[in-house]
Amino acid sequence: MSTPAPTAEPQRGRIEFSRLLGLTLVGVLAAMFVFLAFKTNTFWTVNNLSNLARQGAIFAVLALGETFVIITAGIDLSVGAVASFVTVVVGFLIQGMVPGIQETLAGFGIPEGLAGGLGIGLAIVLSLLLAMAIGAFHAFGVVRMGLPPFIITLATYTALKGIGLLMTNGSTINITNDDFTGFSRGQLLFIPNLFIIVIIVAIPALIYLHFSRFGRYLFAVGSNAEAARLSGVNIHAVIYTAYILSALCAGIVGVLLASRTGTGNATQAIGSELEAIASSVIGGTSLFGAVGTVWGPLLGAFILATIRNGANLMNVNSFWQYIITGVLIILIVYFDGLRRKKR
Amino acid sequence: MATALKLSATARAFDGPILELRGLEKRYTGTHALKPADLAFEAGEIHAIIGENGAGKSTLIKLLTGVTPRSGGEIIWKGKPTDLSTPHEAIGLGINAVHQEVVLCPHLSVAANIFLGDENTSHGILRARTMVRDAQKILDDLGFALPAGAMLSSLTIGQQQLIATARAATRGTQFLIFDEPTAYLTRQEAAQLFALIRRLKSEGVTCVYISHRMEEIFELADRVSVLRDGTLVGTRLVGETNEQELISLMINRSIDQIYHKDSFQIGAPILETRKLSGKGFADVSLTVHAGEIVGLYGLIGAGRSEFVTGVYGRYPTTSGDILWQDKPVRINSERDAIRLGMALAPESRRDQGLCLNLSVGLNLNLPIFDRLTRGLTINGKLEHDAADQQISDLRIKTNGRNALALSLSGGNQQKIVIGKWLNHGAKLFIFDEPTVGVDVGTKAEIYRLFSRLLAGGAGIILISSYLPEVYELSDQLHVFRAGRQVSSHGHKAASHEQILTEAIGV
Repeated sequence: MSTPAPTAEPQRGRIEFSRLLGLTLVGVLAAMFVFLAFKTNTFWTVNNLSNLARQGAIFAVLALGETFVIITAGIDLSVGAVASFVTVVVGFLIQGMVPGIQETLAGFGIPEGLAGGLGIGLAIVLSLLLAMAIGAFHAFGVVRMGLPPFIITLATYTALKGIGLLMTNGSTINITNDDFTGFSRGQLLFIPNLFIIVIIVAIPALIYLHFSRFGRYLFAVGSNAEAARLSGVNIHAVIYTAYILSALCAGIVGVLLASRTGTGNATQAIGSELEAIASSVIGGTSLFGAVGTVWGPLLGAFILATIRNGANLMNVNSFWQYIITGVLIILIVYFDGLRRKKR
Repeated sequence: MATALKLSATARAFDGPILELRGLEKRYTGTHALKPADLAFEAGEIHAIIGENGAGKSTLIKLLTGVTPRSGGEIIWKGKPTDLSTPHEAIGLGINAVHQEVVLCPHLSVAANIFLGDENTSHGILRARTMVRDAQKILDDLGFALPAGAMLSSLTIGQQQLIATARAATRGTQFLIFDEPTAYLTRQEAAQLFALIRRLKSEGVTCVYISHRMEEIFELADRVSVLRDGTLVGTRLVGETNEQELISLMINRSIDQIYHKDSFQIGAPILETRKLSGKGFADVSLTVHAGEIVGLYGLIGAGRSEFVTGVYGRYPTTSGDILWQDKPVRINSERDAIRLGMALAPESRRDQGLCLNLSVGLNLNLPIFDRLTRGLTINGKLEHDAADQQISDLRIKTNGRNALALSLSGGNQQKIVIGKWLNHGAKLFIFDEPTVGVDVGTKAEIYRLFSRLLAGGAGIILISSYLPEVYELSDQLHVFRAGRQVSSHGHKAASHEQILTEAIGV
């Protein structure tokens, strides 16, 4: 039996809502910028703005990756742990702390790097490949072992933290390569390198999610995996792609973080998975799947970064930012729920 | 429309019907699920309701149990008009239902399930031992040898069904609806259930019994009402009717005209199965040629959907052969099937057919995005044109390709489920219950579409639980029962009665 089909209104409302949300987020960001410009005399300075761009960049990349998984109606709790783990791995590789690896690579004709460790490029590539392998493992757990995404990514979250702590003996390793640590401080035409990375990540993400067929498949799997499968979509490949991309973004964040802090530490990004999820949700991604954009989580991340930055400048007790974030999440998801009910 | 048939006035000394329907009806967008019906249920009678799938039985149950609000008419409970708009209200009056699927909590004990919502407490603390003891008393009393302390999930589905019945029967229920309660019961469990129903009757409880199984109706019921296409076509005393009469009431001949069938040149075989077995079906041998419709008829659960999803690669087949255009093939996944040239419009639009919260355009193009891609990205113009073409060709009523699939009526949703394969150029189309929940006008459009596909040299497998549909449209008709192919007929080569009898297995 068919159930009463809604009239034509809801879908018109939906399109308006999604545009409205995008515009609202830009508006919120702009309003905060204007507000802070008037309220403080330190906000609108090159120094502070590039600082803000750097802070936001880290979470923006993390949130973007998370969004791919959330669109499939999954969740990736491991991104903070993966990022932290990658700071350790990339540190090990650059500092030459992996016994035997240089000899092994030399055996393949790959020359060793300058400072006794691997070359920076090779160290980064290897770290990112490792992150992608972790993402593939998440998809394996979801697809082949039938584990809920929450569980498999929670499990790697704690396990990776443990492995990283074992590798570093619970301490922090210092990365002494100036080329590597200098990157995060660098800038191009007054735009911080970290922010440029966001653009470099966002452009292929935009093409993938909104202009390629694989993006369509991602939405289809999140909406109704069975219908997608019966329509000939390789849903396993789609799910693998989502988790690998999420982990890759987390890996990129790990490299950036290692560069920014100059350290490898197995817990330094722990907790940021919730920030990533919050950014994505504030950006309009639906935790029920099949709704999300590339620009949403980016805006969400920069809104949260601006709140944090503004609170600091205005000498507001920094704990307030947590409360504001919480209220924001409730409001956004509440309005999202209203939209759902109207259908 | 039927008039309410009273039991011969003096046969039972009741001072009026316990529940009376006056012009009760239900409309959904695009469908008239229940046309105005008048019916009176007497206290203490067992009243069977029969009808084909989609005839309006589930709608009637939903109305009587307050699950869906009615669109018109009156419901009169013990002489007083009642609102009956929530399940809570129905239960308050004493109206309860036992569903085909058990709706209880599998991880709670039998006793906890029986008393769920009506727990025995002392100062807010559950009196668990007392509840188990009381539940055991009830079960013993009903003659069900089942342990009240056991976890519900440790029982068989049939035993759980008995628990659900016990639960419904012990809450001051005066009007109890059974929706195909024996579907999952063994013979012995069914006998226990019948004993309980007779006992309820003797205590003055009215039982409404919905079933496909004729023999149960003649064994159990006092009266029987027949629904057809949402219309209550008649009520009979069981003692004064027979199977033939009931079957002919269930089958509608008046809308035969909509089954427009063109004849096409029958071409080469497209698909052949030889003694194919798999999950839920065994030894199915049939051939689909170009230009013909092969119909699969049977009751729900007869193995037809299992067979086609097996052929389509959803589950591995266990034995037998599949030949595609005379060549043996192995189909390990849906993608294999689609690559060969199969297209499946699945049984459940909502669960299998559509991404409901995505756009009409995305749904229509889902199987062909690879062809709409140029280089890395989808060509927007190709994508939009492909969707717009299907929307106008199939006359899909929508606000455009960007509208969400869920905003469409059932018939228009079904057009998407079918339409997404038209640009794909498949050779074999499998339609599983394509007209369920679809109004008559859209049905006719869907049948015309079949002709278009056949004219293009495709073959069709049509699954339907609605006999007139498969009967009129099929060039070959295979009847399924309990996972097996029980008979095969040419176009209209057997009577409705014979086919229905084969499907029911009386």
